[in-house]
Amino acid sequence: MVFLSVIIPRHISFLLVLLLATVTAGAQTTAQTEQSETVKALLTRIDKLEQRVAELEAGKNAASTLQPNGQSQGSQIPKAELVEDSLAAQIHDDHLQNGRGVEPHFPSMQLHGFGDVDFSATDEHGSNSGFTLGQFVLHVASPLSKRVAYFGELSFTAGPTSYTADVERSIIRYTYNDYFKLSFGRYHTPINYWNTAFHHGLWLQTTISRPEMIRFGGRFLPVHFLGMLAEGNIPSGPLGLGYEVGLGNGRAGTISRAGDAGDINSNRAWVARISSRPTAWRDFQIGGAVYRDKITPVPALTGSPTFGEWISSAQIAWTHETPELISEFANVHHRDDLTGTIYNSQAYYVQLAYRLPWEQRKWKPYYRFEYTHVPAAEPLFSSTNFEVTDLVGSTAGVRFDITDFAAFKWEYRHTKHKPTDPPVNGVFVQTSFTF
Amino acid sequence: MARTTTFWFRFAVAGIALLCAGQLLAEPGQDVAVIVNPKNNVDNLSMAELAKIFRGERQYWRANLPVLVLLRTPGSDEREVVLRNIFRMTESQYKQYWISRIMRAEATSPPAELYSSGMTKEGVSSIPGSIACINASDVKPGVKVVRINGRLPGETGYPLH
Repeated sequence: MVFLSVIIPRHISFLLVLLLATVTAGAQTTAQTEQSETVKALLTRIDKLEQRVAELEAGKNAASTLQPNGQSQGSQIPKAELVEDSLAAQIHDDHLQNGRGVEPHFPSMQLHGFGDVDFSATDEHGSNSGFTLGQFVLHVASPLSKRVAYFGELSFTAGPTSYTADVERSIIRYTYNDYFKLSFGRYHTPINYWNTAFHHGLWLQTTISRPEMIRFGGRFLPVHFLGMLAEGNIPSGPLGLGYEVGLGNGRAGTISRAGDAGDINSNRAWVARISSRPTAWRDFQIGGAVYRDKITPVPALTGSPTFGEWISSAQIAWTHETPELISEFANVHHRDDLTGTIYNSQAYYVQLAYRLPWEQRKWKPYYRFEYTHVPAAEPLFSSTNFEVTDLVGSTAGVRFDITDFAAFKWEYRHTKHKPTDPPVNGVFVQTSFTF
Repeated sequence: MARTTTFWFRFAVAGIALLCAGQLLAEPGQDVAVIVNPKNNVDNLSMAELAKIFRGERQYWRANLPVLVLLRTPGSDEREVVLRNIFRMTESQYKQYWISRIMRAEATSPPAELYSSGMTKEGVSSIPGSIACINASDVKPGVKVVRINGRLPGETGYPLH
C-alpha cells in the first residue's frame, strides 16, 4: 500500500507534467487556432446579420400590408435592402463575391507555376555533384466560353549556356457534354498514367524523378503528341469508364520529339486509352492504352528503313496515399519494314508510398522498382542516335510537405543501366513547389 | 496512505468520466441540405453522384446545362461537412486536389467560394446549373432541396451532418 500510495501520485504528477508539456508544445499552433476561430466567428456573424436582414424585410412587408391608408412605412423602419447592400459593399473584395457574381466570366484565366531546385551526387564515373535549377513551369487555364477552354503549359529549362523555352502543352478544347470533348493541340500522350497525371509539375508527384520509361527527353514512350483528341466518360454506372482517342503526327525524326513542325511521313499516329475509376474505390484507376505510328528515323539508319510501331500499355493507380500504389507496364513493338524483323522491348515500374499519420501527415516515405529491357539488336533504341538503356533500378526516399504547396524530397537511387555496366548509386535532394 | 491512494484514484476516474460526458453531451452537427436551382429537374442524388459532381468529375446536368458548384469559404460548418463527407479530404488535400485537376486540364478553376449562406442561396436561386450545401435551417424559398440517397435533411439516415 505504501508502494501504491507513492506510485499513483507520481503517475498522476507525470501525467500532469505531460499535459503541461503538450499544452506548451501546442502553443505554437494556438495563434493559428485563434485565427481560425475568429474567421468562424465572423462567418457566423455574417449569417446572423443576413438572418436579421431577412427578418427586417419580412417585418417591413408585413407592416406595409397592414398600413390602412396604403402609405409605405419604409421611412419609419430600417431600410433592409440598404442594410444588406451596405453590408455587401463593406465586405466585397476580389475573393468575396455576392451570390449572383459567381457565374463564370469569359474569358478568364487561372495561372499556376511550378518550380524546383535540386541537388545530386552520384558515384558515376565523370559525374559532378552539385545544385541544379529545375524546370520553371507556367500553366494557364482559361475558359473562353461555357463550352470552350484553353490550357497551356510553358517550361523554361536551364542549359549550359542559356535557358530553353518549350511549349509543353497547348490545347483548345470544345466540350459538348461529359461524354464527348474534342480538343486540338499539343498534349502529353495519353499512353501512360504518369504522363497525364503529373505533367511537368514535380511538386505533384511523390518522387523526385519520373520513371525511366516516361522520362522527359526519353525515347521509350512518346511523351508528347500533336494532333486532336476526343475524350469523355462512357455511361457505365459504378464502373466509371472513360475513353481517350487521339490522332496526330506521332514521333519526329528524332524519336524523343513530337512532330511539332509537321509530320515526318504521311502516316498519322493514333492512340486510344480506356480507363476505369470505380465509384466504390475512390482514388483508384485502372486502364490500358494502344498507340500506333510509323517511324522514319533521321538521320536514316543503314538501308533507310522505316519502322511500324505498336505500343500497348497497362496501368493501375491508387492515389489514396494510405497507401499509394502506381504501377505501369508497356511493350514497344517495332517492325523493320525493310526486313520484316520484329523487336519487342518492355518496361515496367511499381511505386509504393505511404503518408504517415503523425506530424500532421507531412511525411511520406516511398519506394520504386523499375525495369526496362531492350533487345540488343533493336535498331531504334540501341543505335547510337536513339539509345535507350537496359535498366534495373531502385529508388527509395521520403517526401516532407513543408506547407500545402511546397515539399522537400530526399532520394537514394541504385541503378544498373546495362548488364555489363557497374551499378550507379546516387543521392538526390529536391525542393519543389507550386504557386 | 490508503486514503491518499483512494483520493487520487477517484480524482482520475472523475476526470475521465467528465471527459466522456463532455463528448456524449456535445451538440450533434446540424444537417446540411444540398440545394439546386428550382429549374433543375434533379430531385434525388446518390452520395456517389454527389461526390462526382462536387469533385468535378461530372460537369454537366445535361448537354446545355453545366454544373456550377458553390462552396462556403474555409471556417464555415457547411464547408467542413462537405469536405468530410463528400470530398473526404482535409482543407490541404482539397487545395492540392484542385491544383492537380487544373494542371491536368480537367478543370479551369476550383468551385466558387462564398462567405455566407445568404450569398450561397442568392447564387443558387439565380444560376440555373448551380449546386451548393447550406445548413438545413437556413433553407428558404427560391431554392430546391435535393434528396440524398432518397432522404431529406432531418430524416433518419441522412448522410450530411
